Amino acid sequence: MGYSPLQRSAEPSQEPARHLRAMIADAQAPVTSKAYHGYVPWMVVGVIVILWWAVSALHVFPSLALPSPGRVARDGYVIATTGYNGYSLLANIGASVTRIAVGFLAAIIVGVPIGFLMASSKIIFNAIDPLLQFLRPIPPLAYIPVMVIWFGVGQLSKFVLIFVCTIPIIIINAMSGAKNVQETRIRVAQVFGADSRQLFRYVILPSALPEIFTGMRVAIGVAWTCLVAAEMIAAQTGLGAMILTAGNELRMGVVFVGIILIGLIGYLMELSIRTVETRMVPWKGKA
Amino acid sequence: MIELHGVSKVFPAPNARSEPVVAVSNVDMAIGDGEFVTVVGPSGCGKTTILNMIAGFEHPSQGDILLDGAPVLKPGPERAVVFQQPSLLPWMTVADNIAFGLTLRDGRRGVDRARLEGTLQTMGLQDFATHYPYQLSGGMQQRAAIARALITDPAILLMDEPFGALDAQTRSDMQRFLLSVWTELQHTVLFVTHDVEEAILLADRVLIMSPRPGRIAANLRIGLSRPRRWDMVMDRDFNEYKRKVLKVLRPQ
Repeated sequence: MGYSPLQRSAEPSQEPARHLRAMIADAQAPVTSKAYHGYVPWMVVGVIVILWWAVSALHVFPSLALPSPGRVARDGYVIATTGYNGYSLLANIGASVTRIAVGFLAAIIVGVPIGFLMASSKIIFNAIDPLLQFLRPIPPLAYIPVMVIWFGVGQLSKFVLIFVCTIPIIIINAMSGAKNVQETRIRVAQVFGADSRQLFRYVILPSALPEIFTGMRVAIGVAWTCLVAAEMIAAQTGLGAMILTAGNELRMGVVFVGIILIGLIGYLMELSIRTVETRMVPWKGKA
Repeated sequence: MIELHGVSKVFPAPNARSEPVVAVSNVDMAIGDGEFVTVVGPSGCGKTTILNMIAGFEHPSQGDILLDGAPVLKPGPERAVVFQQPSLLPWMTVADNIAFGLTLRDGRRGVDRARLEGTLQTMGLQDFATHYPYQLSGGMQQRAAIARALITDPAILLMDEPFGALDAQTRSDMQRFLLSVWTELQHTVLFVTHDVEEAILLADRVLIMSPRPGRIAANLRIGLSRPRRWDMVMDRDFNEYKRKVLKVLRPQ
């Protein structure tokens, strides 16, 4: 091979100068070691807790309405060890998380293929799109009475509710991801004689993944919100049910524990989807 | 051998108030085996349309396109394409991108590893095999795209302004790279560009197109010796060719 621009700069291999070596080492080190900002969120949390503590200590509001951080921590410890409303805290969390996991996974398993089918066929699109657009603006809470009557107060009505309120989001994102594949990428596959199965596997599916993940992140937030609301209306277990019972008994400390846990779990679910996303779609935003 | 007989392409009017667009009008041309032909012309003259028709992405409104006597109906690996836009698949490593044609043909496990290694070597990409496209410079990405096109041994390599999006220095590097690859492999190449110097430096023959409706206004055989060197652009002969091309492109 006569010419290669690569070899041009590699004149008689010299040791890189010391400052160059330092720079190379720097570039190879993981980015986080350069500037660590991990403490910032903890500082924000700290400031909020201090403000909260100050407001409650000054008795701006009656302590029944705004329990102190210490009170909430104590209540948290108590319900974590002895439970509340007849169920342990873990059972309440487990009930909520199971409902989300089942409904949300079912929505992905069913919704992604529907989105792809809608992207690939005008007829299927025309058949499903009006239904989708009709269902979308209905607040999921409006379904709850129907769900309870049809599927009872048990787990099934919650699975179905989560499924119904997340699937439109999943479908729309999968469809738009599959539709917006760059023309050049399809042509590349055509040049090399891809059949429709290969075109899907090597080009359309990976092209659509970033948008599917965006849909999942939006949907999991929506699912969590719907679920807690549903548990407040018709459930014995779950964080929503726990909050409602505590509210009725004026146990504001327990209400706060529930609210904080809902926020934390929602955050954890977002983080776990984000982690899977960076694993599966490392090129997102770069190509 | 690629032949075009009386090929025209008319695009339908984009809306009710405009006329249909005649992009290519009655083009006859032939590209012999092992020949390096460039098509040069102003933007919008239909040169990419001709390439897209040979590739099989679009169909002529009139006329025939033949590859070794058989009509071209759809895209196929014997007519590999290098695009102007970045076209590597971002979810695959450089090696997987280059092997893409082999993977589609022979399956993931059927890929000829030795051939892949050889191509990575020839293209100077052996150190980047496990990189992802977004980790490569524009020039390196195009180099991988050329490797991907060549690995399936196409009858003709169709290049649509492949260096158009690169900076001047990289573009010149890539021209020399392509010349050295071509000297070794002697593929048939159809190379579309709007850069007159690039068209002359690379080609055995330059087809000069007139603006819309696109037709071939002149066919200029380039007698510069091979292998070509980048500094030939300063030769008297080279400038004579350049004058001839520009005279056709800008008659006034």
